[in-house]
Amino acid sequence: MWNGPLNKIGPYRYEIPKTYRGIKNNITMRVPAVIYANDQMISSVKKDNAPEQVAAVATLQGIVGRAMAMPDIHWGYGFPIGGVAATDAEEGVISPGGVGFDINCGVRLVRTNLTAGDLDRNKIKQLVDELFKNVPSGVGSSARVKLSRAQLDEVLEMGARWAVENGYGWEEDLEFLEENGCMESADAGHVSDKAKERGKVQVGSLGAGNHFLEIQRVAEIFDPEAARVYGVEKDQIVVMIHTGSRGCGHQICTDHLRVLEEAVRKYNIRLPDRQLACAPVKSREGESYFKAMACAANFAWANRQMIVDWVRQSFENVLGTGAEELDMHIVYDVCHNIAKLEEHEVDGEKRMLYVHRKGATRSFGPKRKEIPQKYASIGQPVLIPGDMGTESYLLKGTDTAEETFGSTCHGAGRVMSRQAAKRQWRGEEIARKLQQKGIYAHAASWSVMAEESPDAYKDVSMVVDTAHGAGLSLKVARMVPLGVVKG
Amino acid sequence: MDREKKPPHLFFHVPPQYFYKRWLFEHVYEIIEHTADVGIRATGKNMEEAFAEAARGMFAIITNGSTIESKVERHITIAHTGDMELLVVDWLSELLYIHDVEHLVFGDFSVSIDEKNLTATARGETYDRKKHGYGVEIKAVTYHILEIQTHKKGVTINILFDI
Repeated sequence: MWNGPLNKIGPYRYEIPKTYRGIKNNITMRVPAVIYANDQMISSVKKDNAPEQVAAVATLQGIVGRAMAMPDIHWGYGFPIGGVAATDAEEGVISPGGVGFDINCGVRLVRTNLTAGDLDRNKIKQLVDELFKNVPSGVGSSARVKLSRAQLDEVLEMGARWAVENGYGWEEDLEFLEENGCMESADAGHVSDKAKERGKVQVGSLGAGNHFLEIQRVAEIFDPEAARVYGVEKDQIVVMIHTGSRGCGHQICTDHLRVLEEAVRKYNIRLPDRQLACAPVKSREGESYFKAMACAANFAWANRQMIVDWVRQSFENVLGTGAEELDMHIVYDVCHNIAKLEEHEVDGEKRMLYVHRKGATRSFGPKRKEIPQKYASIGQPVLIPGDMGTESYLLKGTDTAEETFGSTCHGAGRVMSRQAAKRQWRGEEIARKLQQKGIYAHAASWSVMAEESPDAYKDVSMVVDTAHGAGLSLKVARMVPLGVVKG
Repeated sequence: MDREKKPPHLFFHVPPQYFYKRWLFEHVYEIIEHTADVGIRATGKNMEEAFAEAARGMFAIITNGSTIESKVERHITIAHTGDMELLVVDWLSELLYIHDVEHLVFGDFSVSIDEKNLTATARGETYDRKKHGYGVEIKAVTYHILEIQTHKKGVTINILFDI
């Protein structure tokens, strides 16, 4: 139980004052820290050490404004999950602990012109089984396509564009991806051979753990105007893809974390937690991490792009109708583990900042130029995946979110360990329960079903309602799963 | 492994749980639970054995504790910078890398560590979902709770994985 000071400074906003010195008296905060939560959640937030981690983030050199945590805050390595921090683009530091191992883990939403009435249980089962067959998933799931080293370098530097140019998906898809599916700062020269080898065998795979592919039904519309612009309506069938940069990103993080462990000594950086290892943004080590991280981000966008192509093919195979005829366009694609160089207004002054979002989603409002022209009047779509068999949300970004450097929550977050979940439930039971709710699930194994049981997670609706209440992102639609592919 | 050759009187010096694990399952690692992640506490009579146990524990998490036969060998050399904690992270990260790229799982390790290098032989086989079941996909080895304790009975390593 964390017992530090948390002062309510406004609705859904709790502050750890700058004067807080930490449990071990080793924290000197440069800026205050703010946790976005409702009154009910705040007691559970204090249960793990996550608030201490937000305070520790506030010690980072060059941090601007405030260290922040989104409503789905929970303990993570270095930064808490749900952590957001911006550092100055000249004087600040960059930290892999503020991004996470699964760089550009993210979510993509594809719409269709089908409604729930068009697909009976049998069709859903056929679709899920077809998806399971076409999209490699599970532990050690390997690619259908083996790339050469030169091709992989292209993936790392071009991102989703590489996939489109090689026949995966449509040219127009790129417009509806965050960053258009490519971070320009990527330089494959900063990626180790090991990361490339891991990438080569895993590009175009879902992976395991909490990653999933779902066929969903739009159950509720909160904002009809925004939904219309996003092309979403009640009872429509949509497909959600949740995966990241696989072993390639994990290796890039591992490699650079190791370098930064030593850079901390070299640059004489004092940190309250070893896992906040970082380097000045302008240092050789800092620049190298950022360029490699961008490669992992690009890998993830290419990965999701290939999966989208197989999703479309699967629908075509089962339904006998072309994907274009089925209107299977991308609504949007967001990343929720990333650091980006962005312009934000701080105390009335425009500044370039490295915004770290770890388990946090970009939530840009209508004012931002980065969002697709089609959504300019509404703001950026924000995709919040629930966990297997629960519900997911489509939200819209807001100008209010500028107070969090354009960030909001990313999902639910675990409340029970995987081992405990496995002891408590059997996978077969979970599958049967889902079936009773009208959800068909195909998992690589029963134990994953138990581990990823919906009861092992926080209630995603409370997280989303809090972000909505705080104005960081506003609810547009709620989706419920009909079919689940689990790694 | 010379475990079976140990003189019987040693039994009285070890806790019953340790004895049980060692002789029934031939391992001395325990799984550490954490809300979002999972780790191990590995004990060996010296540093090398603790490193080997940590590796066994990691593959037990990946394969849900199933039997891994020694059909192939990989020889591993890792530069030792003098920091034992960094070395154990590098060691397990290297095995994770081989697992990912070659689809191998390992169950038996011989490790030796000198001032300059860690050299090891890892024995195992190709991962087979049917045979090895399905544990957890480990993303990475982390520095959280990372600790190497030297004590009367040998060495204990605590380490957590990101999954």
